[in-house]
Amino acid sequence: MASSILDNATIPTLTKSITQDSIDQFESCGILDRQNIHNDPELAAQRLGTTYAIASGRMSITFAAEALRKFFGPEVFNHTGSVNLKFLRPVKGGDTITVSGSVIQQDAVEQGTQVTVQVQCHNQNGDTTAVGQGVAIVA
Amino acid sequence: MADAELKPFNYDDIEIGEELGSYEYVLTQEMLDTFRASVEDPDASFPTLAVKHDATAFNMVYDDQTGGVNAGNEVEFFNPPIPGKRIKVTGRIHDKYLRRDKPYMVIEATAEDEDGRLLEKLRTYQMKKPDEVGKKWHPQS
Repeated sequence: MASSILDNATIPTLTKSITQDSIDQFESCGILDRQNIHNDPELAAQRLGTTYAIASGRMSITFAAEALRKFFGPEVFNHTGSVNLKFLRPVKGGDTITVSGSVIQQDAVEQGTQVTVQVQCHNQNGDTTAVGQGVAIVA
Repeated sequence: MADAELKPFNYDDIEIGEELGSYEYVLTQEMLDTFRASVEDPDASFPTLAVKHDATAFNMVYDDQTGGVNAGNEVEFFNPPIPGKRIKVTGRIHDKYLRRDKPYMVIEATAEDEDGRLLEKLRTYQMKKPDEVGKKWHPQS
């Protein structure tokens, strides 16, 4: 079954400003009250040798999921979607992360068409911070 | 969450397929609102990403003084969680391996709500030698 999505179609490009406050807010959603390399610069220095705390890679997963949800629609992406990212460089407070992507593959499956999107995240310097794929099944 | 007796983490001792057990919590509207604010997305549907189900399962079992760096995540979405509902998470060690002489551990968790709705499956690839990653990011130091 063919989908109405065009090959090479691009997903909405998102730009997110990362602050230590937003990182701390994200971490505060956890159910274990504990310090980590995201909310404790001293622990990050001890474990990573950095002078700053780093954002959780799950923030980038969330940004990619937002772009994919806006592309596929929530009724599709929130029920059939997936995101797979590799993290290549640290993201920290003060960074600006841009998520972009385009359709690279469409395959017929039992429920419709499985659409695969190549996704990447870049920082304000143009460095790639994460790469991977998003997938959803379009009926 | 009450602190249970934690096992000291030793990479060599963990086993592929090892169960990390289950835990439950109630997703609150405040958690959802805080998550949405943190990622500047008023429609973000999976605050469970910030709860870090798999890492939480691991940290409820192990006292890990090494730490790790998240090298990658795989997440599948099935149904957005509903505030006020109890969520049950089940975790396990999915894999461990060496790559370029660095130890990796893959943890995973599956979440469903009190009505039995499957919500999310999550896998995290952790590199368990975080100082090596720091050197790569800051080769001058």
